[in-house]
Amino acid sequence: MKKYFTVFLVSWQNEFVYRVNFILWRIRNLLRFSMIYFLWAGIFISNRNVFGYNQPQMLTYVFMVFLMGTLILSAPSSDNIGGEIGNGDISNYLVKPVGYLKYWFIRDIASKSLNILFAIVELFLVWLVLKPQLIIPSSPQIIFGFVTAVLIATCLYYLLSCLVRFIAFWTPENTWGLSFLLLVFVETLAGGIFPLNILPSWIYTFLQFTPFPYLVYFPIAIFTEKIAGWELIRILLQSTGWLVLIFWMTKYTWKRGLVVYQAYGR
Amino acid sequence: MKELKIWLLYTNNSFQQMLVSRPTVIIFLLGKFLRVALFLVFLGFLFNGTRSIGDYTREQIVFFFLSFNLIDTLAQLFFREVYRFRALIISGGLDFVLVKPLNPLIRVLLGGADVLDLFMLIILSTIITVFSLANLTVTMSGTLLYLLLIANSLLLAAAFHIFVLSLGVLTTSVDHLISIYRDMTSMLRIPVDLYTQPIRFLLTFILPLGIMITFPAKAFLGILNWEAIIYSYGFGLVAFYLSLLFWNFAIKKYSSASS
Repeated sequence: MKKYFTVFLVSWQNEFVYRVNFILWRIRNLLRFSMIYFLWAGIFISNRNVFGYNQPQMLTYVFMVFLMGTLILSAPSSDNIGGEIGNGDISNYLVKPVGYLKYWFIRDIASKSLNILFAIVELFLVWLVLKPQLIIPSSPQIIFGFVTAVLIATCLYYLLSCLVRFIAFWTPENTWGLSFLLLVFVETLAGGIFPLNILPSWIYTFLQFTPFPYLVYFPIAIFTEKIAGWELIRILLQSTGWLVLIFWMTKYTWKRGLVVYQAYGR
Repeated sequence: MKELKIWLLYTNNSFQQMLVSRPTVIIFLLGKFLRVALFLVFLGFLFNGTRSIGDYTREQIVFFFLSFNLIDTLAQLFFREVYRFRALIISGGLDFVLVKPLNPLIRVLLGGADVLDLFMLIILSTIITVFSLANLTVTMSGTLLYLLLIANSLLLAAAFHIFVLSLGVLTTSVDHLISIYRDMTSMLRIPVDLYTQPIRFLLTFILPLGIMITFPAKAFLGILNWEAIIYSYGFGLVAFYLSLLFWNFAIKKYSSASS
């Protein structure tokens, strides 16, 4: 465990090496937040209620999208794994006493923890300026459900991201194409732009058969108490099912990939 | 003329490189197309639940969104090389560009045109033409102004990219800067008027992204006055000139790191 803790610490230090880059990264996140926030604020000027959401509910959703994006979707592993397989750099890890999947997971966690710390401060400052009315859950059941959903979503996104990039074992040149496709699906179908329950019920039901809504929408729906009781348990079970399935697929692909890996570029 | 020939050579090489892997081209195109289509679906649902968005009808909002995509794709088609600039800066590889008998800005700004965006441009132009003819009032003057203002948008986009390159030389940070530009332009997938203050003011007057993305569509729809058209051209020319001055300043500070 100690070696992974060292990886965590080194990753934190790495984030601060290019400070201008770090500041720009924070500005970028705030801009993304502003985009969605002011879009919905504009819509609520001429409408009191949109798709069953009033203004506090929707603005809480927007704040939570920012936090979820920060925590779940921020992943340096996404930018590196495909390239490391393609150019043979992964060989360096294979000869070391570290698990490749664990190594990048720890690096992702380091990035996420740093990101979330800054995001909370930034959101607090934004809240002080804009003073929007937000909904904070008080029931322990909702908080427990939310925390569980967030943990599942974090692991699920990491595994999905690895799974797509492991295609590099077979066709290194196609990795970016598939990663881009995953990005598009996550961007639009995870609930980052709009709450998914505004879609017609058949699309909403269909999306539950994909892993995307479990990444952003359902954790926020639990937080905003749109989902509670037995439905909450059902959603948590479904997301666990997806996690187990993607975990198994990732491990299987990793093992098969290592069999065909020939250390190109080395 | 020499510059044009060299640019064509760069573009030809870049297209050939990208077309080596046909499956990747297809997957990328599919992804780009899906991104546009899914947002259009979202707009469709949004209009089912609301009477109006600001002062705009459903068709006008869709036209704004399609115009955003057209301008964004045009900028990416020409200026894709900017996304690869950081590697050149931190490795000292820019040295090899500087010693060649060609303005280095042409190489780092225009040296890697993206063939995928050329395909998207063709698809988007077709969609916009068909959509406009079917749903909007198309006039000769509106269309001409639309095309002229899109040319101005390209000039503004060039200015933004040159600013990013210049800051890249000074700070070695390009990736997040270009992402900020992309994020800010994507705020204008919907008309700038739909944002509340201070964002609307910021996007129109401080950063001229409103001029770049929203003005051409407004001119097409006949809701842009002549003062705004002249103002946008003035802004485009001044921004482009200032970006060139900034580039000339920045390139003199290049420290040739790692070389």
